[in-house]
Amino acid sequence: MSEVAAPDTIVVIDDDYAMRLSCSKILSKMGLRVEAFENGARGLEGVAEHKPGLVVVDLKMPGISGLEVISRVHEIDPQIIMVVITGYATIDTAVEAMKSGAYDFLPKPFSPDELRMIINRGLDRRRLALESQRGEVERALLKRRFVTFVSHQLRTPLVAIHQYLDVLKHLDQTKDDPARRQEWLDRCLKRTEELQNLITDWLTLARVEGGTLVKERVEIDLKPIVSSILASYEEMAAAEQVSLDVVWPEEALCVWSDRNCMNVLFDNLITNAIKYNRPGGKVTVTGCLSGGEVAIAVADTGVGIPEKYRPFLFDEFFRIKGEGVKRTEGTGLGLHISKRIVSEMGGSIEVESQAGIGSTFRVRLPAWCAPAEDTEIGGWE
Amino acid sequence: MEGKRILIVDDDTDFVEAVACFLEADGLTVFKAYNGEEGVKLAKLERPDLILMDIMMNERTEGFFAIQEMRRDAGLKAVPIFVISSLCTHLPDFEIPQSGGWLAHDMFFSKPVDLVQLLEKIRQRFEKAA
Repeated sequence: MSEVAAPDTIVVIDDDYAMRLSCSKILSKMGLRVEAFENGARGLEGVAEHKPGLVVVDLKMPGISGLEVISRVHEIDPQIIMVVITGYATIDTAVEAMKSGAYDFLPKPFSPDELRMIINRGLDRRRLALESQRGEVERALLKRRFVTFVSHQLRTPLVAIHQYLDVLKHLDQTKDDPARRQEWLDRCLKRTEELQNLITDWLTLARVEGGTLVKERVEIDLKPIVSSILASYEEMAAAEQVSLDVVWPEEALCVWSDRNCMNVLFDNLITNAIKYNRPGGKVTVTGCLSGGEVAIAVADTGVGIPEKYRPFLFDEFFRIKGEGVKRTEGTGLGLHISKRIVSEMGGSIEVESQAGIGSTFRVRLPAWCAPAEDTEIGGWE
Repeated sequence: MEGKRILIVDDDTDFVEAVACFLEADGLTVFKAYNGEEGVKLAKLERPDLILMDIMMNERTEGFFAIQEMRRDAGLKAVPIFVISSLCTHLPDFEIPQSGGWLAHDMFFSKPVDLVQLLEKIRQRFEKAA
């Protein structure tokens, strides 16, 4: 964080005037704000008013005891760090105080250095606690947003289907236009497909996140896998007037991976390259072995991805909207899933793109090396 | 109802098409916009008698921004706006009271919307205005 944080406030509660004064002096010199009180009741009011990060409290005081102060302070804010001051004779009570939530204790007499050390440690501890709490809040918020977003995504196609069916039901049959009826039914079918894709992708994502997508690790040659995916999209590519090309090296492109994961990964990249292309365009898949890695590139001849969007391309549900971008169906999860799979396999995925020329997605995965034969140890004399 | 002009603002083309067709069958003239900005532009240009507005479009609250923008325009200050959104699926359809600031008198419908009821509410609104 670049902003200058306000100084932490420390509340000191001690019935001994000299102790309050010396603590205040030392802590003020550390750049901290100090508020000192002479008994537990005043001290608790002070805590409520000044919202300190840390409270130093003497265990043995007339009136409200130090132990009670600890629990009452934690009722106000459980994140406040409590440090107790105690005489040697009451070390048992100090242990008791630790049990009831004090962070640390200072046996009397103590040196300024000891006080400084304990206060710094306590404040560090508090910062850590607050940071992790913030992290949790953020994660919870993200999760809630994810759920809202997904339910909106699921509902949208359903609403469209419902609305079409509703109109078809109500419109005057005699004035009905059969061509329109047919078109609407086609669109309903298309939207159910959209819904199915979303659910499939969402499940895949859940599996990636739950670590259950990768079922096995076997030696896989990516050449036949990618080739058969390409073959299965020939029809779709022809409909979009996009040609499919592949350039393979002589050798096999073997990785140590899960067959299903590799299918999902390259299926995503290849369908994207077809969808985000132009009529008359081309999808070119190339592969090679280099530096112990299998590198596969999927290149399209589409409009390209504006630079400002590239950092978000692999985020979940990120989709480029507007600005002359072709409206295509998609769940916004494909690339996110691809990235998760590649990371799981210890590889990398990146994109290069040039406006008007096209985009190339490059996947690198650790190559699988056959264990070298004839290297048995101890076979020779 | 005949000849009244309705503007639909929604990013789902299928939804727009279905609702538009239903309203047109009842003699209404329908204008279509597919995002908040387009909606505001078209509203200023065509001066519709009533606006149907989606909320979650490109931005999570795009529809609300569009409504605020429309309310800032003197000519659109009083045009009834019916919000149709899946934001409020768990609520019955409701009307914002007069004290509702820039949403005063506007109605909220959940998605999918009951088209027969929607048409009835539109009719009532026009009768009240007449």
